[in-house]
Amino acid sequence: MTAGAGVLSGCENVRHKNTMANVVVVGGGFGGATAAKTLRSLAADLNITLIEPKADYITCPGSNWLFAGLTSLPQLTVDYLALKQRHGIRLVTDSVKSIDRDRRRLRLTSGQDLAYDRLILSPGIAFQWDAISGYTAAMANVFPHAWQAGTQTTLLVRQLQAMPAGGVVLIVAPPDPYRCPPGPYERASMMAYWLKQHNPRAKIIILDPKRGFSKQALFEAGWRQHFRYGTADSLIEWHSLADNPITQLDAQTHTVISDFGDRFRGDVLNIIPAQTAATLASEASLTDKSGWCPVNPQTSQSLFDPYIHVIGDAAHFAPIPKSAFAANSEAKACAIAVYSLLNEQTASTANWLNICYSLITPEHGISVAGIYELDGEHAVAAVREAGGVSQVGSPELPILEADYARSAYQSLVNNSFR
Amino acid sequence: MQLKQRLTALWLMWSLPVFAEINPQLVALNCVSCHQDHAAPERGIPLLVGLSAQTIQQDLLDFKYDRKSATLMPRIAKGFSDDELRVIAEYIAQH
Repeated sequence: MTAGAGVLSGCENVRHKNTMANVVVVGGGFGGATAAKTLRSLAADLNITLIEPKADYITCPGSNWLFAGLTSLPQLTVDYLALKQRHGIRLVTDSVKSIDRDRRRLRLTSGQDLAYDRLILSPGIAFQWDAISGYTAAMANVFPHAWQAGTQTTLLVRQLQAMPAGGVVLIVAPPDPYRCPPGPYERASMMAYWLKQHNPRAKIIILDPKRGFSKQALFEAGWRQHFRYGTADSLIEWHSLADNPITQLDAQTHTVISDFGDRFRGDVLNIIPAQTAATLASEASLTDKSGWCPVNPQTSQSLFDPYIHVIGDAAHFAPIPKSAFAANSEAKACAIAVYSLLNEQTASTANWLNICYSLITPEHGISVAGIYELDGEHAVAAVREAGGVSQVGSPELPILEADYARSAYQSLVNNSFR
Repeated sequence: MQLKQRLTALWLMWSLPVFAEINPQLVALNCVSCHQDHAAPERGIPLLVGLSAQTIQQDLLDFKYDRKSATLMPRIAKGFSDDELRVIAEYIAQH
């Protein structure tokens, strides 16, 4: 695979010896924006095009903070002006209809055709609508997943705030792997923080198809400290339904039903479905039977097409979690690899960093970190001596980590988009 | 296979990950995801701008060996050899 890619990239450079190469980036989230920006910092004369249908991007990171009233959609919104003006990225506000892999051309929804020498795909996720019967794309407008930030999140915030006194919020968590592993639990924390002040007899019930979750010990300690977790009147309950997951929605009665027929009724239903790589990736036959895009991690080249690099949530970089921070890190390694391939150089050894902060309250932050490298088999592996979750002990640490959570968010947005 | 060749192959297999050179540019790009290169908000993550290579290297070693308490950096610094931390510190100070 790698050897083949090297040979092919050689031909390509002969072809473009006297012209500038065209690199097209599809998807203007953290992965795509960072890839375009980093590539520009490496190559001033490269033609870099970013294709993204939205004029503004609302970040998923930070969007759970809306439930606690700590931020607003405008504060979570970034545009692409800096990428365009400061970094000389050609911006095409459009979406990709299809990828002609043989001719290395993209057909856009507007009808425009675009050639690429190398394509970087950062298309994000799609939802598996058939995983919970009755939960369709249309039904998400009634019971929001809020797993892509924007109107979905606003709808869920409004439903939470309008809930009757003593009402129940059901959060149906997704199976692994999915975007933002600590997300459902930070969301429950932020909802509980708001409910504690405005609807203190309410309850959040998390129904989880997993046996455990990211930063579990830290979340549960925080919930005990702030939300009476573990007592009869806890604001949050977590139920593992690993052998009996939710398989059905009865919209009429606001009820979700498990495999064995257990019924859970809620006033507000937040159903976060199982996920795969975005439809664009599967339609271009870049996914395997897992639903995600397998890549050679060293260069992020698709295992099915050496001219296409896949990064971000859509790509299979496990054990690196699917996060905005990880997408940013994958984009940087990818940009260096693309630059090397275009210049017929050997790409330097890749490594990656992931950091995910979560807020339990505005003054209680927790984090998980991981450093990743290639092992002897060229697979991604976590560096064993490094990483892990926040230390427990000093009472100042959660306060400091809450400040750092906000600071890291702003910094990551600036680093990716500005 | 000759014993010598076999030992060489074994040595190569064992030693490759250890001797694989890190790219300090890539690591530094990841550092500035949090340590942004312009004004940090109040109570934000410290900036690296203006720090000497020696200061950065010493801080990284202190984080790695738990001589200096911090929220996250001890967990990061343990992911690199002392020599890698030196190379990273030098790169950050120069850019």
